[in-house]
Amino acid sequence: MASAPRSELPAAAPPLTPARPVIWPPRVHKTLSNGLEVVLVESHTIPKFTGELFFRSGNAVAIAKAPGLADMTATVARTGTLKRTSREIEEDLRRMGSDLSSGAGADTSVISFAGLVEFSNGLLGLVSELAQQANFPEDEFERERRQLIEGLRIERTTPGFLASERLRRVLFGAHPYGTISPTEEQVTSYRVEQLKEFYQRYYRPGNALLVMVGDFSPQAMLAQIESAFGSWASGPVEEAPDPALPELPGRRVYLVHLPGSVQTQISVGNRAITRKHPDWLRLTLANSIYGGAFNSRLVMNIREEKGYTYSPHSGAHPLRQHGYFSIGAAVRNDVVAATLTEIFYEIDRMRSTPVGEEELDDARSYLTGVFSLGLATQDGLAGQLATSTLEKLPDDYLETYRERVLKLTSADVLDAAQKYFDSAHAQIVNVGDRAEIESQAAQFGKPEVYDAQGNRI
Amino acid sequence: MTQLNIPIESTTLPNGLRVVISPDRAAPVATLGVYYNIGFRIEPRGRSGFAHLFEHMMFQGSANAGKMVHIKLINSSGGVLNGSTHYDVTNYYESVPSNALERVLWLEADRMRALKVDDENLRNQRDVVKEEVRVNVLNQPYGGFPWLDLPPIAYRNWSNAHNFYGDFDDLDAATLDDVQNFFKTYYAPSNAVLLILGDVDTDEGIKLAERHFASIPSGPQPSPADIDEPPQIEERRGVVEEKFGTLPGVAIGYQSPRRVTPEWHAAAMLDQALHGGRAGRVYRRLVLEQQIAVDAEGGIHYPVGDLFDYNGPTLMVTRLLHKPEYSVDQTIAAYDQIIAEMKEKGITAEELEPIKVKFRSNYFSMLEGGHGASIPRYGLMHLLACFSLFDDNPKLVNTILGGFMEVTPQAVQSVAQKLLTRHNRSIAIRQPAKKGAA
Repeated sequence: MASAPRSELPAAAPPLTPARPVIWPPRVHKTLSNGLEVVLVESHTIPKFTGELFFRSGNAVAIAKAPGLADMTATVARTGTLKRTSREIEEDLRRMGSDLSSGAGADTSVISFAGLVEFSNGLLGLVSELAQQANFPEDEFERERRQLIEGLRIERTTPGFLASERLRRVLFGAHPYGTISPTEEQVTSYRVEQLKEFYQRYYRPGNALLVMVGDFSPQAMLAQIESAFGSWASGPVEEAPDPALPELPGRRVYLVHLPGSVQTQISVGNRAITRKHPDWLRLTLANSIYGGAFNSRLVMNIREEKGYTYSPHSGAHPLRQHGYFSIGAAVRNDVVAATLTEIFYEIDRMRSTPVGEEELDDARSYLTGVFSLGLATQDGLAGQLATSTLEKLPDDYLETYRERVLKLTSADVLDAAQKYFDSAHAQIVNVGDRAEIESQAAQFGKPEVYDAQGNRI
Repeated sequence: MTQLNIPIESTTLPNGLRVVISPDRAAPVATLGVYYNIGFRIEPRGRSGFAHLFEHMMFQGSANAGKMVHIKLINSSGGVLNGSTHYDVTNYYESVPSNALERVLWLEADRMRALKVDDENLRNQRDVVKEEVRVNVLNQPYGGFPWLDLPPIAYRNWSNAHNFYGDFDDLDAATLDDVQNFFKTYYAPSNAVLLILGDVDTDEGIKLAERHFASIPSGPQPSPADIDEPPQIEERRGVVEEKFGTLPGVAIGYQSPRRVTPEWHAAAMLDQALHGGRAGRVYRRLVLEQQIAVDAEGGIHYPVGDLFDYNGPTLMVTRLLHKPEYSVDQTIAAYDQIIAEMKEKGITAEELEPIKVKFRSNYFSMLEGGHGASIPRYGLMHLLACFSLFDDNPKLVNTILGGFMEVTPQAVQSVAQKLLTRHNRSIAIRQPAKKGAA
């Protein structure tokens, strides 16, 4: 082509223009007389609302009775009430343009729901019924039990699941956090009475938090909530057990043998801290520099330079009583040792050399910017409110987050890396075909080898 | 409420680039996207997986922003970015605090103007893509089921039938020349639409778009690809080995109507009647009542697309995982019973009305969030882009619901009778491998 007109475009990126202030919407935060804590926020993006009814009791609290019991209770709770059959519940949800799901993690059980605001009263009525009057029909329970067992069998062929299971087991041992899933035998021995007992004990207003965001007026919504949940009888609340954690013996290597794997799922982790810990933001920032963002050191190194993996990542995971830090990457079989070398090289670099000003600035901007993206959707706001309220963080947590991040220094990052990127106690899990990877894993310590069922081999 | 009033302004620059602005100033956040009218369906023969590999190359450097600069500039502005390859479009998108708006436009314009990549970048991303295929398909239970299984069974035209993620030999054969040719052919401004949503003033948005994109030279419009399929005249079946998972899988796909036609509106309601979650007929009958299957899902253009983002042949798919004590034939027979009832008895107004309410509700959720959880208004962007590129009318976003709400029970039954026939369907079976000693 002849001379195309010379572009007027600058050859360098334009600077950022002045930022508009980030203003978090006002919340209505109220506790009903029966103890139900309620947080409400208006968001008029779409004519819908979204909500989550949390109970501050999850699988951890019932671990001694049966692993996964909270999750099974939540699953079966949506399949029948004193007033509605399973089919009626599903058809009523559809009639109200609504979605509903229920489940439990280690620390909480939750009923999540969303629907058109024109049906908010009806949907709240149904959620209230599920929370108070679930009747656990025997046939629904048996069907869900079989589905859970089939699901577990498939999970045992899923590299990501097997890696998480082994990592949590070695980090937390016999503590409830050491078990992320029940065995088939444990599910087979669930009894419906156990579900009812869990439900009676923990599905109580004094143990609950209701977060709702949407296209409503908070005062009017509060009146609907009072009428749907106000007469719910209170009950005592119980804390989850917190037994001692195992002594970690130093760096250890584990191999979960999944025959025929054409890739290896690597997961490296160590125990860290909860969100309430004063170092939490320091750790968050250090993580985002290490491997928590696309523009992070680990991603640049093992993806963009070396091409070992598609989606490497690291994350700080806060549970209520303890937390952990982990690094994950699914890599081709012949670079398992090379990947581990880079993972530890980057950890050592974080622990030994202060981060420069530019990289620090970039990471602080990333964290503060991404945090404010939550403002723009009902789900985003609901998630942030749920996190800050469930963890009983200060009321101005959202408002002050950005300024607290912006105050962090290079020394804070170095400090967090030295404390919480604990390479001396790193637990190294590799899920893959033993014949392909064992000798590589062994370069980092003698591997303890397990089969996909969790048995030592 | 089926007539929406989302503000939408659109224009076309002299070089052919379409620009769509949809302002909402409530939060200081903007989402931007550039959609190119090229997807994996029409990538070159002998280069399976190339459209997706090329998408990766668009992050490897452009004239004034070298490797990693795109990612660094967006992340350090407090934003997130990604891209994705679909059947008929490829998109690149960012969500950022709105003070980074012009910076993002500069980056997108720079890579629309000139891609600057080398052999090392290509080798690197080829490796990355292979690990992506392994983590999503080759090393996962039910990986690619049924989105990679059904096309080679259902279609006869290579464009519709090939491995969209790419055979590794084809990925290995891709050259830097292929990359630059593909860019020249499909990445001209006239083959794209730029979308700016959220915290932007309409006039200012158009002015910024002109400043950064107007001087990009126009290119020839690519010739329309041949994606026509010969009429299907018999049921087609295929079996794929499931290497890891423990349950047999069955996926049934019926050829679906062309987009934005009365038949398409009716098929969408039919789809919801069958696949609308736990209240849908397939899940209710096969999972909840008869308990033959442990999972049942489906949809039009499911699972890697939806009703709105295809522009050529596609399937209405049902995906089942069933208990091993039932045979594949028993499972299909139970499914066929549901289909036969729909064709014979149709649907009552009492069943259809709630389906419309739910459809409307789902549509609103799609507008706000859609497929990308951390990208506000991803769904609105995606709809605006598809309605621009395929229908030349982004404002369909505000009116499209009307056609669905007018569907009658008779129309649902008619479309069921027309589509849900044996000679119009293909079946992919995932058969678990015999397990050897572990």
